[in-house]
Amino acid sequence: MRTFLPSLRPALGLLSLLIGLPALRAQNRDSVDTEIQALRAQIEQLDAKLRVLERKNEIRDEAAAAAAPATPRITINDRGFALASADGANSIKLRGLVQLDSRLFFGDGGGIANNSFVLRRARLVSEGTFARNYSFQLVSEFGGSAVSIQDANFGINVAPALQLKFGKFKSPVGLELLQSDSWTFFNERSIVTNLVPNRDLGVQASGDLLNGRLSYALGVFGGVPDGGSTTNADFDNEKDVAGRLIAAPFKNEAGAFLQGLSFGVSGSLGREKSTAGRTGGYKTDGQQTFFSYAATTVADGQNWRVSPQLDFRNGSFGLLGEYVASTVNVRPSATGAKVELRNTGWQFAAGYVLTGEASSYAGVVPAANFDPAAGTWGAFEVVGRCSTVNVDDATFPVFASALTNANVARAAGVGLNWYLSKAVAFKIDYYQTRFGFNFAAPAVSATQILRQDEKTFITRFQLAF
Amino acid sequence: MKLKLIFSALLALVTGGAASAKTISLLNVSYDPTRELYVDFNAAFAKYWKAKTGDDVTVKQSHAGSGAQARAINDGLQADVATLALAADIDALYTIGKLVPQDWQKRLPDNSAPYTSTIVLLVRKGNPKGIKDWDDLVKPGVTVVTPNPKTSGGARWNYLAAWGYALKKYGSEDKAKDFIAKLYKNVPVLDSGARGATTTFVQREIGDVAISWENEAFLAIKEYGADKFEIVVPSLSILAEPTVTVVDKVVKKKGTEAVAKAYLDYLYTDEGQEIAARNFYRPRNETIAAKYAKLFPKLELLTIDGDFGGWAKAQKIHFADDGVFDQIYLK
Repeated sequence: MRTFLPSLRPALGLLSLLIGLPALRAQNRDSVDTEIQALRAQIEQLDAKLRVLERKNEIRDEAAAAAAPATPRITINDRGFALASADGANSIKLRGLVQLDSRLFFGDGGGIANNSFVLRRARLVSEGTFARNYSFQLVSEFGGSAVSIQDANFGINVAPALQLKFGKFKSPVGLELLQSDSWTFFNERSIVTNLVPNRDLGVQASGDLLNGRLSYALGVFGGVPDGGSTTNADFDNEKDVAGRLIAAPFKNEAGAFLQGLSFGVSGSLGREKSTAGRTGGYKTDGQQTFFSYAATTVADGQNWRVSPQLDFRNGSFGLLGEYVASTVNVRPSATGAKVELRNTGWQFAAGYVLTGEASSYAGVVPAANFDPAAGTWGAFEVVGRCSTVNVDDATFPVFASALTNANVARAAGVGLNWYLSKAVAFKIDYYQTRFGFNFAAPAVSATQILRQDEKTFITRFQLAF
Repeated sequence: MKLKLIFSALLALVTGGAASAKTISLLNVSYDPTRELYVDFNAAFAKYWKAKTGDDVTVKQSHAGSGAQARAINDGLQADVATLALAADIDALYTIGKLVPQDWQKRLPDNSAPYTSTIVLLVRKGNPKGIKDWDDLVKPGVTVVTPNPKTSGGARWNYLAAWGYALKKYGSEDKAKDFIAKLYKNVPVLDSGARGATTTFVQREIGDVAISWENEAFLAIKEYGADKFEIVVPSLSILAEPTVTVVDKVVKKKGTEAVAKAYLDYLYTDEGQEIAARNFYRPRNETIAAKYAKLFPKLELLTIDGDFGGWAKAQKIHFADDGVFDQIYLK
């Protein structure tokens, strides 16, 4: 038996293996099935979690999409800072204008403290719309010697053909005066601007007709003297009516040579009745006074102005011209005899953008900003201008002193404008003004700046956004 | 004679102008699941109004979570009528926006709720998780879909139905709070409105059970087939009363007061009630209700006024900031 058993061992082992193998196989199969089930359950759980995550993302996207129409839009660029409602119906825009000038006069005999740095303008502009059709503008001036409100007005945009404006704003007479301070060809507007009313209190209707080929403005204003602005209160009981009619017949003819031509006429008509002095003084391109009425002179009676004007732009070339005749009735004093005086002036100014950008009434936008690293230089524009103002000979000597005033100013100027970007510009102008005098004037004017031509460089660093 | 003719012609022009048909536009700002109801109803009302006055009326619809819609109206959405999921949301039009009078709910019959609904449980075909009643929703491993009570009126009805059940069964507010906390732990995603929650359950295939407006559950079965979903009617639910109002401040400004009022009045007509029933809302009109009785199962229903002390109280206790929902969900 002992010898038999060992010989059976392998057979028994094999037998037991054969018997146990299916059981082992079944055990293994169960284990695999369990594992598969566990994996399946895990996959289902992961699938459920994935669906939940996807749905949460969808809900987030839906919420964002629903919120989007109500999300206000914020715009910050070189045109200012703007906040607008999602539908654009309500907006507030903040803009600014800073002009630092250097005035350098030479050949004026010395002794005149007129070479100076001037903070010509430092303005904060807030403007916007409410309920799409209501607009406002508020312009605060911090430059010069006093803080003031330049513009404060609101408008109702009834239709493109009818827009109403109320408050303080520019009277619609002077072509160059109506152009933004930032975008005139020269640092200073021409001397002819002395003859048109500046900012006034009033009500104005304006609009575009014939698909923009005709535009008009017509308003009733308190009335201001030549070149003057309101002091935010009406001066007398009388009113002025001022208006402007401009045609741009080729405006919608793309590519036409005269597409950028606009021309028209503006004017004002009113009465003045005051017992105190109320007449304007005129300044040179260098902003020195070459003519002013005697302090005792008062405006009394009808005044009117007429100004034919044109603006032409073609590519890089721009031309602006205007003529102004300003008539005023004055008395030497509250009780003196009334006399009608007519002062006239004209100007032509032209510019050419050397770097190829378009010349525009709304300013030059450089194709590429000044960026030394990128090798770009902004835009350069050369400008030239000639202008004249004639003061009525009948003014002297009763209404203004021939001793201290010129009665003619003939000015010419050239300049170079460097637009570093839409917002930043550096401009340098040279002006020369020659004066003429009434026959009653002395050989040598009592006013030192009038004894020779005014020659001045005005350079300006400008930030306008 | 000539003058007479000219005068007559002018008169004809003037009166003809006055008599010419107007085109009126209304905006109905409603909650999520009423899209289909008001598509049908608006067409019927336009036909009715045209026949009555000769005027064309176009009713634009806006749908989202009821609470969110109330906020939108208060924020300036020019709704002529608001047809929201619950009175509390329209109350907000008075308390916050002063757009409707305080007693707005008394202006129309049945507390300005022209149709009702209730809350049921929508499960997948075969009810794989064996959902039979509210208790099954708090079991571990059961995924529940219900929208956010902060933004959805339907979600607030869902919540209160579950709360009412737990309070009745377990007998104390603490236990009800614990029940609700367990239920919302089983909610993986809170949609902002009832329609979104239906989408989550039906289209995204998330969840084992959706707590749903009865009408929304019927609609899901109608749209997707009885072979995909089935409705489980719980032992206890709540009488949901969606309410309607003219938004006085808007209609006075727009000059649409008469047509807006007529629009809501029309909900109470036989035609309006029929349309509500066809869209699975329980009609108030007893005759119409009897006609559709087989459609709507009978069950014990709590009421917001009788069991919760009214919407103002329920809102303050459960859904206001730091209310019970905030306490259990933000924990």
